[in-house]
Amino acid sequence: MRSFPGQDLVQKFSGALFWRLVPRGRNASSSKPDIKICIQCPGSVQNLSEVALYCKQTSDLMLHARCCLNRKGTILGLDLQNCSLKDPGPYFPQARTAIIIDLQANSLQGDLANTFRGFTQLQTLILPQDVNCPGGINAWKTITSYINNQTCQEQRNLCNSTGDPEMCPENGSCAPDGPGRLQCVCAEGFHGYKCMRQGSFSLLMFFGILGSTTLSISTLLWGTQRRKAKAS
Amino acid sequence: MAWPNIFQRGALLSQFSHHHVVVFLLTFFSYSLLHASRKTFSNVKVSISKQWTPSAFNKSIELPVEIWSSNHLFPSAEEATLFLGTLDTIFLFSYAVGLFISGIVGDRLNLRWVLSFGMCSSALVVFVFGTLTEWLHFYNKGLYCSLWIVNGLLQSTGWPCVVAVMGNWFGKAGRGVVFGLWSACASVGNILGACLASSVLQYGYEYAFLVTAAVQFAGGIIIFFGLLVSPEEIGLPGIEAEENFEDDSHRPLISGAENEDEAEPNYSIQEDKTITQVKAISFYQACCLPGVIAYSLAYACLKLVNYSFFFWLPFYLSNNFGWKEAEADKLSIWYDVGGIIGGTLQGFISDVLQKRAPVLALSLLLAVGSLVGYSRSPNDKSINALLMAVTGFFIGGPSNMISSAISADLGRQELIQGSTEALATVTGIVDGTGSIGAAVGQILPV
Repeated sequence: MRSFPGQDLVQKFSGALFWRLVPRGRNASSSKPDIKICIQCPGSVQNLSEVALYCKQTSDLMLHARCCLNRKGTILGLDLQNCSLKDPGPYFPQARTAIIIDLQANSLQGDLANTFRGFTQLQTLILPQDVNCPGGINAWKTITSYINNQTCQEQRNLCNSTGDPEMCPENGSCAPDGPGRLQCVCAEGFHGYKCMRQGSFSLLMFFGILGSTTLSISTLLWGTQRRKAKAS
Repeated sequence: MAWPNIFQRGALLSQFSHHHVVVFLLTFFSYSLLHASRKTFSNVKVSISKQWTPSAFNKSIELPVEIWSSNHLFPSAEEATLFLGTLDTIFLFSYAVGLFISGIVGDRLNLRWVLSFGMCSSALVVFVFGTLTEWLHFYNKGLYCSLWIVNGLLQSTGWPCVVAVMGNWFGKAGRGVVFGLWSACASVGNILGACLASSVLQYGYEYAFLVTAAVQFAGGIIIFFGLLVSPEEIGLPGIEAEENFEDDSHRPLISGAENEDEAEPNYSIQEDKTITQVKAISFYQACCLPGVIAYSLAYACLKLVNYSFFFWLPFYLSNNFGWKEAEADKLSIWYDVGGIIGGTLQGFISDVLQKRAPVLALSLLLAVGSLVGYSRSPNDKSINALLMAVTGFFIGGPSNMISSAISADLGRQELIQGSTEALATVTGIVDGTGSIGAAVGQILPV
């Protein structure tokens, strides 16, 4: 990812400019972006599903096709039950912010270990009966087996339980990366490639001090030394 | 034993005006800044080598590519280290070539313009090398090599110019002490570079390059507006006019023959000189002067060791003892402290004894012992710093002496009286041979 001094300023300006140019309607549904995962499967959120319950009990949430969205358009719930899916599909990572996902009544094949990469907010996952919870029993507080589904609840943060103090390179720290997964991100205060950099260098102050010092010393020396020098 | 003139002549201090002080300080700090930006590269070797390589972490945990392994300029740290050594060698070779050229060509141009041009353009090259490539995330081996070659050529303008300017302003009287103090500028530059680099290293190695390049550029501007190349520029008498008043010539300590008062050659290098006859001395004639070849070869061997320390000390400390790079940078300062004390003290002793060679020989013999001792240093910062200072004393001392006082002696022998270009040419030869020796030493282990 490119970064240069002043990048955040540029981003802020371009962001502000963008929202001025794009008209924002009062009606939420007219400005919703076209989220492919929500419309991939025909139909809408089933009335009695867990996703519907979750969506109704929290205010400020709205249903859109198969998704439960908040004001900003972030997916918080996804209901893909009975969709004849063999795998969640290429657009599934769009739902990585989801808190509740329902995948029951699909004939899912293959290992789901890599499908839930980045799903750090997921607290309730309903899978078909024959599919195991990603990460196994270590990754979830409660796994319940029902007649037609398996419910995994309350994702565990495995950083605390794996007791290895050196699990990340220097200046990195452990962070969850989805159910049963861990990743190394930069520790607090560190950034950049390999987290080598810390803090931010104030270019303005440095060049201000250097410039004024150079100017004053040059003027002083020119006045005392070179003013009477013959042209050379 | 003869105490240096500085003790016998109270009139010495009165002949130094504020112009002399300013020239001393300006030339001192301009060469210090040049050396500081050279030193920056060796101070950030660990960080640069980390930036160029992917992470070699071998655990089962997931490492996001953009943070840990997106840069593949070199597949491993060993390859990156080899390339860093190659860059050092390239720099030294082009620096040596540049020195030979500058020693011959520099006399024909205005020293002030050459020095400030060299400082400012070298600062720009260092900025592009270290800071711009990182900001644009453009890493390219060919670019690094060519930039470093250009940097070597530009930096080589510094030393002959500052020596010539000092030669214009400071004549025979008190030369040993003045040059002895002045020759500490390289070590002071190393210390300055280490301090600057270690203080901003946490923000990223690109800021270490930015800071030293910016300060060097500012120095170039100050030189341009404040440096007087010779006393004639403002109408003061040159050193040859002043030294005609002296009745006791402070002879160069290399030649042993008794001398009558000789007409002082004028070091001023303006083209419209009419006071003295300017006789050129050719490169071949300069090489054939007694002592030049011997001291050049000795300096080559000595600079080999000195520059190995100069280029690799922080990297060695960081890798061998596991210390953090900023700490290793700060600790490597002690080597230069030893060098400053060694140069000044040994220069003073050789002035008193009126012989340079015995002091040098003894110091270099003891240097062998101190190197062995340093290689066995324990993992304790205080003991390591002490051993480092001792080693610096025995190696840096002769190095400072040869490059300054002895070059001045060699360039002032009675065999070449009446020639002004000898000093710059001889300085170029001695330092150029030294740099070639240092460059060869970088590729020896390979």
